[in-house]
Amino acid sequence: MRNIWLIARREYLERIHAKSFLIMTILIPILMGGLLYGAAIVNSRIGSNHIAVVTDNPKFAEDLKTELSPKTRQAIVDVYSPTEPGVRDLLDQRMQKRSIGLGGYLWVTPPAAGESRGTYEWDPKAKADIVTKSRVADAVRGVLARETLAQKGMSAAEVNDLLKPVELKPPPKDRKNSDAAFASAYGLFFLMYFVILFYGMNVARSIIEEKTSRVFEVMLSKVRPAEMMAGKVIGVGSVGLTQVAIWIVVALAAFKIQGLGSELDALPTPGQLACFVIFFILGYILYSSIAAALGAMTNSEQELQQMNMFLMLPLIACSVVIFRVVTDPDGPISVFMSFVPFCTPLIMYTRIIVHQPPVWQIALSIVLLIATIYVILWIASRIYRVGVLMYGKKPNLPEILRWLKYT
Amino acid sequence: MPIVELQHVRKAYDTKIAVADLSFQIEPGSMFGLLGPNGSGKTSTIRMMIGMTVPDAGTVKLFDQPFQRDLLTRVGYLPEERGLYKKMKVIDQLVFLGQLHGLDAATASKRAYAWCERMEITEAIEKKTEELSKGMQQKIQFIAALLHEPDLIIMDEPFSGLDPVNATLLQDTLVDLRNQGRSILFSTHRMDQVEKLCDAIALINRGNLVLSGGVREIKSRYPRNRVDIIFDGDAGFLDHPTIESAKNYSGHAEIKLNDGASAQHLLAAAIENGTHINHFEVMEPTLEEIFIEAVGGKADA
Repeated sequence: MRNIWLIARREYLERIHAKSFLIMTILIPILMGGLLYGAAIVNSRIGSNHIAVVTDNPKFAEDLKTELSPKTRQAIVDVYSPTEPGVRDLLDQRMQKRSIGLGGYLWVTPPAAGESRGTYEWDPKAKADIVTKSRVADAVRGVLARETLAQKGMSAAEVNDLLKPVELKPPPKDRKNSDAAFASAYGLFFLMYFVILFYGMNVARSIIEEKTSRVFEVMLSKVRPAEMMAGKVIGVGSVGLTQVAIWIVVALAAFKIQGLGSELDALPTPGQLACFVIFFILGYILYSSIAAALGAMTNSEQELQQMNMFLMLPLIACSVVIFRVVTDPDGPISVFMSFVPFCTPLIMYTRIIVHQPPVWQIALSIVLLIATIYVILWIASRIYRVGVLMYGKKPNLPEILRWLKYT
Repeated sequence: MPIVELQHVRKAYDTKIAVADLSFQIEPGSMFGLLGPNGSGKTSTIRMMIGMTVPDAGTVKLFDQPFQRDLLTRVGYLPEERGLYKKMKVIDQLVFLGQLHGLDAATASKRAYAWCERMEITEAIEKKTEELSKGMQQKIQFIAALLHEPDLIIMDEPFSGLDPVNATLLQDTLVDLRNQGRSILFSTHRMDQVEKLCDAIALINRGNLVLSGGVREIKSRYPRNRVDIIFDGDAGFLDHPTIESAKNYSGHAEIKLNDGASAQHLLAAAIENGTHINHFEVMEPTLEEIFIEAVGGKADA
């Protein structure tokens, strides 16, 4: 145990004192924040809010404009009369001019005798702009509904009431709403995903580094390979956890300062939070162990890059089924996946958040997870030790399997 | 009670037999040389001694006990393929490695300072390893193997890559340690060092023991049939019938005599020939010659 602690401490201190740690700690939140903020800005301006409508009914055009304008953003609707000569050419020309920013035009043909509805022809500037198209279609439907209801004698207030969107509220006994549950489940998912992406491979890299510098033969005369592996996983892993902890504390402090404390009520219960910590740490150790095994098998960074997918594949599998799990937490797929150790941390935690599974299932999944970590570390340490004897040449799978039998 | 005892040890990797059947023992307080051409199984043998690999057959005993990892706290090991943590300061590194051997930080640090002084590298103590020359790094690795004051010191090619000054410093240190009663095993290609330093040797080739025993005793098994002559003038005496083979390096002849021939006749013939003799010595074969003869002259070591 003492040796594991010594090795872990060495790895931890060396990395914490490196300049790159400080830089990453500051830079990543800035980059991520910038990315999220940028994405929000870009997406909020999707679709055009300037269209033209060709109709001889000015009331329709006015209603359409109201319908198209949400509270925050005023739409521009140019009105043209279909009887105007050359109106189509004029609109086509206007659409080509960037400075005008016309997103398309709607050509309204009044209903022929005996038909209830006219025809609406939409000519967009960008053929693939489905956002504007569906917005206009919704608006036209809204205008028609209002018109019809008004004709039937309903007052404007009554019509507004009727067309208001419906909000589905959680039952009062459930303090957490489902949005918060989703948020924390996805939060864990992305946190783990990124931490593994940034740090998982560090364990592998540190093992390869030791092979390149040939320190490991010196080390192996003093410690067991398993102690070496465990020390590395704990030491390098703690660096990642330290960084995540720093980010979380800073983020919480920022929330408090901004007076968003009430948002924190949406966080999971203490029990769920404990599960979060347990599954996060175990999941992290599991993936670090896999990385350790990959590092033990390879001799250079380049070879390691090719192995990268073994680390990402289980994560991708999780992201494929996670929607299923969220909607059907007790279904056979969800239960099965939550017992596959590589998916347990993400899937089981999501199940706990969405709908509390039986305690024995949680306990069993944790036991399986720990057993898997143990087996992988054992394999990794065997490969690592035999790697001392044979280096320079990339081992193939049968060789690796034979190595496991060496004593 | 031997410090190290190998009995019919065998180790094979896949299809390659690294050590076929090897037995020898190291007496306490002696300096032991493990010799052999490249690829003869020296490193494989050493690795089995420190438990990095386990023999397929046979037994390894350390300190008269069957091998177990706990005994390694009494062993200092310097591998042939050695490295250090590049980003670590020398003192941190030595303390870390000392701690892995069971020392506490304060003792490790105190001993590290004392050793650095002895190995004349005090200026390197506060530096990072990557800033040091290769020779300095080797001294630090040497210190790291000795910090915990082991009873048995095992060094794989300790002299490779050292300049003569540092090689001598290391030799003297090893002799001091032996005089303190430690047992030392090292492998090398350098026969002059073996002759100077070792009390006993084992010579292995292709995983088998070719020769073993005390250096004096091994040499006495060979007849004193080597003659070293430094001369001026005519080299005609080198055709004398007592000579089996001779190499003449312009005035310095290394001669091997026929079995049973006397060197006196050769000297008389040379003087008769009118050659001026500056130096004439009758010797045992050198270990180098024994080595080359034993492995069939095919060694590339």
